[in-house]
Amino acid sequence: MKRLPRKLHPLLDRRQFLSHSGTALSGMALTHLLRRDGLLAAGNDVLSGKVSPLRPGIDPAHPNAPRHPHFPARARQVLMIFCSGAVSQLDTFDYKPELWRRHGQPMPGGKDLITFQGEQGDLAKSPWTFRPRGQSGKMISDLVPRLGGMADDLCFIHSLTSETNTHGPGENFMCTGFTLDGFPSIGAWTTYALGSETESLPAYVAIPDPRGTPQSSVNCWGPGFLPAAFQGTDFNATNPLRNLHPPAGITPKQDLKTRSFLTKLNRHQMQEYPGDSELAARISSYELAASMQLSVPEISDLSAEPRHILKMYGADAAGNSTQDLKAAYARNCILARRLVEKGVRFVQLFNGAYQTGGEGVSNWDGHKALEKQYKIHGEILDQSTAALLTDLKQRGLLENTLVVWCTEFGRMPTFQKGASGRDHNPKGFTAFMTGAGVKAPFSYGATDPFGYQAVENVVTTHDFHATLLHLLGLDHERLSYYHNGIERRLTNVEGRVITDVLG
Amino acid sequence: MHHPGSDPIKSTTLFSKESLNRLGLWTFSFLLTVSSFYRGEAVDFSTDVIPILERHCYECHNENKSKASLRLDITDGWSLGGDSGEPLIRAGQPGSSLLIQRITHSDPSERMPPEGEGLSSKEIETIQGWIRDGASLPKGGASENSFYQTDHWAFQPIQRPDVPSATSKSTQHPIDAFVAARQEDMELSFSKEADRFSLLRRLSLLMKGIPPTPEELLRFQTDRDPFAWDRWVDMTLSHPQYGEKWARHWLDVVRYADSNGFETNRERKTAWHYRDYVINAFNTDKPYDRFVHEQLAGDFFGEEAATGFLVAGPVDIVKSPDISLTLMQRQNELDDMINTTSTAFLGLTVGCARCHTHKFDPIHQKEYYGLQAIFAGVEHGERPLQKNLPADQKRKIEELQSQLTDLESEINRWKEKSTTSVKPVQSGTRPPVNARLNEETFEPVDAQAVRFTVLASTSGEPCMDELEIYDLMDLNVALSSLGTTASASGTLPGYAIHQLKHIHDGKHGNQHSWISNSAGSGWVQIDFPSTRTIQKIIWSRDRNEEFTDRLPTRYFIEAKTPASDWIRIADSENRIPHNGKPDPNAFLSLLSKEDRDQAESLLRQREELKSNIQRVSRTEMVWAGKFHQPEPTHRLYRGDPMQKREAVPPGTLQVIRPVSMASNEPEQTRRVKLAEWITAHDNPLTARVMVNRIWNYVFGRGIVGTPSDFGANGLPPTHPELLDWLADEFIRSGWSVKHIQRLILTSHTFRQSSQPNATGLAKDAEGLYLWRFTPRRLSAEPIRDSILATSGVLDPRMGGPGFYLLDVQVENVMHYFPKETFGPPEFRRMVYMSRIRQEQDAIFGAFDCPDGNQVIPNRSRSNTPIQALNLFNSPFIQQQSNILAERLRAACGEEMNDQISQAFLLLHAKMPDEIEIQMSKDLIQSEGLESFCRALYNSSRFLFVF
Repeated sequence: MKRLPRKLHPLLDRRQFLSHSGTALSGMALTHLLRRDGLLAAGNDVLSGKVSPLRPGIDPAHPNAPRHPHFPARARQVLMIFCSGAVSQLDTFDYKPELWRRHGQPMPGGKDLITFQGEQGDLAKSPWTFRPRGQSGKMISDLVPRLGGMADDLCFIHSLTSETNTHGPGENFMCTGFTLDGFPSIGAWTTYALGSETESLPAYVAIPDPRGTPQSSVNCWGPGFLPAAFQGTDFNATNPLRNLHPPAGITPKQDLKTRSFLTKLNRHQMQEYPGDSELAARISSYELAASMQLSVPEISDLSAEPRHILKMYGADAAGNSTQDLKAAYARNCILARRLVEKGVRFVQLFNGAYQTGGEGVSNWDGHKALEKQYKIHGEILDQSTAALLTDLKQRGLLENTLVVWCTEFGRMPTFQKGASGRDHNPKGFTAFMTGAGVKAPFSYGATDPFGYQAVENVVTTHDFHATLLHLLGLDHERLSYYHNGIERRLTNVEGRVITDVLG
Repeated sequence: MHHPGSDPIKSTTLFSKESLNRLGLWTFSFLLTVSSFYRGEAVDFSTDVIPILERHCYECHNENKSKASLRLDITDGWSLGGDSGEPLIRAGQPGSSLLIQRITHSDPSERMPPEGEGLSSKEIETIQGWIRDGASLPKGGASENSFYQTDHWAFQPIQRPDVPSATSKSTQHPIDAFVAARQEDMELSFSKEADRFSLLRRLSLLMKGIPPTPEELLRFQTDRDPFAWDRWVDMTLSHPQYGEKWARHWLDVVRYADSNGFETNRERKTAWHYRDYVINAFNTDKPYDRFVHEQLAGDFFGEEAATGFLVAGPVDIVKSPDISLTLMQRQNELDDMINTTSTAFLGLTVGCARCHTHKFDPIHQKEYYGLQAIFAGVEHGERPLQKNLPADQKRKIEELQSQLTDLESEINRWKEKSTTSVKPVQSGTRPPVNARLNEETFEPVDAQAVRFTVLASTSGEPCMDELEIYDLMDLNVALSSLGTTASASGTLPGYAIHQLKHIHDGKHGNQHSWISNSAGSGWVQIDFPSTRTIQKIIWSRDRNEEFTDRLPTRYFIEAKTPASDWIRIADSENRIPHNGKPDPNAFLSLLSKEDRDQAESLLRQREELKSNIQRVSRTEMVWAGKFHQPEPTHRLYRGDPMQKREAVPPGTLQVIRPVSMASNEPEQTRRVKLAEWITAHDNPLTARVMVNRIWNYVFGRGIVGTPSDFGANGLPPTHPELLDWLADEFIRSGWSVKHIQRLILTSHTFRQSSQPNATGLAKDAEGLYLWRFTPRRLSAEPIRDSILATSGVLDPRMGGPGFYLLDVQVENVMHYFPKETFGPPEFRRMVYMSRIRQEQDAIFGAFDCPDGNQVIPNRSRSNTPIQALNLFNSPFIQQQSNILAERLRAACGEEMNDQISQAFLLLHAKMPDEIEIQMSKDLIQSEGLESFCRALYNSSRFLFVF
């Protein structure tokens, strides 16, 4: 029988920890572990050509210490900008002149199409004009003019596809590779494999939109069955990290003394347990927490940012509710840059939420009144996001950082019957990448002349994920975790690296 | 499974290994038989086909290699096919046979064989001819079982081994004897027995989930009875808190939670009955085989809530008009049931066979669909909890139910009549109803009240956001602000946004609507303060255009006149039928006017009777699934519901002596038979899997390190004889969980110290061979429960609806926000917390606490800075520290030494030493008792079991 042996310590492999620790025990324990590795190697032979899992050596006391990738990486960090609610590719980056020619006519073959909310009306041109942008002349709409201005730095994928046309499962699919809840997010996989460049900040930060969380909420940055150490920590410029400060009524002196008592007590009591890695990890977690208490408020404090930076991002916007939201999102963008700057491995920045308004109101789900709603969303997204990319670039951070902009799926080239908005469409949509390891300016793949369906170089979400991992130096087939009888991967049993988009 | 005495695999192959090695020698006995059928041009398998296979196929598809799990050297291989689960040949239809498709594929990467020229056209024709002729394979050349024959340890029968003879006093206990025998191989040995304080703390935390009280510690320490430990073990196991601790383990294994998950994530307010059932099952030491039976078919065994097991998983209630996606959702629901059942009870990952034959274990894809057929009649949802009703009430319900049955058969007669009715269909002329706005105009009439009666709706309980009634001045006289009152047949309970008063509040939209409490029917009535002359009614489902479901499609409106009681003023009859979902009462329009009146009156009677039954039964509902006789189940190619293959009858797995079921087996019987099969004494998995789970939760690692995977991809047992001995003991004891626990807890293996030694760490750092009790961090629930228990505010109330650590915002899509302050309602044990999928408790969720989306056989145990921040800084810990400080003061006054000793006893189960006393005093003197308590709640000693 074929067999995939594995180690099953509750927090993974102790090998690295033991081999680097200076205790007298480590040498002996290492013998033990290496013997087990011998067993591992024997098991691999029968895999008949299948690649074997590469398990990161994780020190339980420092689960997010930096680790080597599988092969030399092009990108060290990731910033994922996720627009919740399904951004219409046809009103942003996927220019389809045919929609102007056939505006108001039925889509050929579209008559019997039943999409998420029901029947289709006629083909509808975008309310926004598309113009050539940058040296490359990439056609991008007036809804996102400043992002359009960055066209020469961007690598578009116009042929992405999803497996579902429902928001929750769609967001899960884009963030975790599975439509169901409970699977590890891409950020969790990344930090599981690579740890972080900084231990004084969480390895993986999710920045929810000022209006709340996306439809799939915390599942977008959940650890699934990976250890909780790899869970995204969520906070933003409006809502700081929970429990970061001592509770009200506790003075700094009290706090300090209590903490140092705790350390002394733990050390004293654990003298009887030398070489126990789980106990060592517990003590270490308090040291890490203490350093976070200093560095997280520091990084969240934007007051040190110069006025011109605040202005560039639009953090000074004010005057009405849209402008207030724009300023709040802009502050999240600045926070994202600061986190990247400090070496946080994976930053996930959200635009759009479901808590404070359903369909299209505070997210990109423009079913009925697309023009009216997207005007607001474009205003909030465009300037700040473009400023974030510009700022990362001017600071040289794009050398090592991969930026990904994506959404859960696309929208229809038609308006819904009797409405002025577009229904869900997972058959072809757009994402872009920029930064480390990415070819730019470049556009990969294409939808049909109406922008309905990916027809050229079709990219599945699994392919997209495989490519992101590849840029991080990770083999998506070997980055796996044994759970409940299955070697689980971000890409399930699929995915291929899109080598054409690599710079 | 390899039954002892059955023939070895060799005799069942088409070709012995030798024959493969020495081409040409394959022509053995059956050739003689087969060749006698040789007629004319017919193709013969042995003489014509086999040589082709030898040239092109056998190299990869034989006993040794079997690429893609396909073997062509045994007849089984031909009928079972390979990984895809597709049969290789369809007799008589070469064109649709997979074999032909693959050897003739136009894409070279798909064509077989993958290398070389491929088959010549003559060779292809030969095989096509053989298939066209019926594709007969040699008889006697194959066994039906060869696929299922396996030497994998877990499929072998449980055999009670002899207990190794004791080498010392410390190994007289059978468990110790087995463990010591393995230690000898490894040159390891037991540690000394732990001290009594540590022992009692360990026992209490692992079995009850909270630490012992100082009084218990002192009592146990001075207990001189030679059987003291056995007595304390018994006392602990018979404490109700035992069930609360162990139920939580089982709830992990069955992915229990109190919400649907997915984007709407609605609450399941009646799911807790199952949680209570599990707690009670552990507390009463319900025989495990019975426990299995009830969870699969409690509706048959008189334990209604137990089938909560089947539907405890997540379900996506947002269905798409795209049929393939909706079918896939259903497949996911069924997969969740199959996967949970097979991993929880059997430790088998049957779910792997959904899309292809299992890669590691002998589970064919068609068997997956056999299991699916067992669950195919199970739907997520609530049903009435019958057993709590008094007998006379039950009789009354039965009476009403029989009336209902009579009424329904009468209605069915009308339905039949409608299909034979010669009367042409009178289709209406008014526009069909719509969700946004509907207008009814009529001759002005004097009315004291108006009643709107719904006979059918597009889906679920009908909903209306506003009912407007206009007088001659075109003034809406229905508004509550004008002194009217509203009444209704019933209102869907539990939703702030759906209330009766919303029907005439002048506010529109789903947020301000009324929903009936009965599917497809209900009435709502507006009473005027005095008689009004009315001439128009406007009503709507959702004027804000968000929702189109629950739309009334058949209805009539009556007015109560001062003169002549109720008269009908409008109805849906002259409307064009709504083109939404099929209207079960559409037959009415086919009937003549007189017949229709009679039928409608019957329908009204039926609705009345139904709500009558509901009222009389006043039944508590329970989220335990709904059952119906399912349609036939089909195997799905690659698990794709749009690619149906042959029908598959309900069935169990072949690898364990299977149970046969008819393809039309009654739904309930399917589940009963499944339970019988799982708990059959010769099922080698069930007992092994459960005793291993018990071991796992006691020692932090199972004898098998993969508690839900006993298949070939799982880890082998570290102590196979011990596992079998325990499994056999389990069955012999009448499947008593407590018996196995008692055995474990009274062993030296359990009672030894947790302190490490250099030899042990060097040879076995993970503690697989149990040379010490390996310390480990407590999981989320025991930590929270222990905090409450030691501060003294733990509310011991058992059972019933859960409490919330989240604030709930009720909408179509539910939103949850962490609570900021906590009081007595939140001071119950965490097993009673309403567990909302995706939404973790803001403090303890970070302690690897599962959210119920996946089955969790083993929680991971990470130690993270976020946990430290939550435990050190949360207002909850501050509050509990303050309460603990008060408790210490109350018990010890201001005497600091006593406070410190008491705190150490409470939280650490130890007396403080000199150093601890001194450092504690220093802290208390400078920063107060509260700070000391806050630190202790964060100490490793408190958070770990040693």
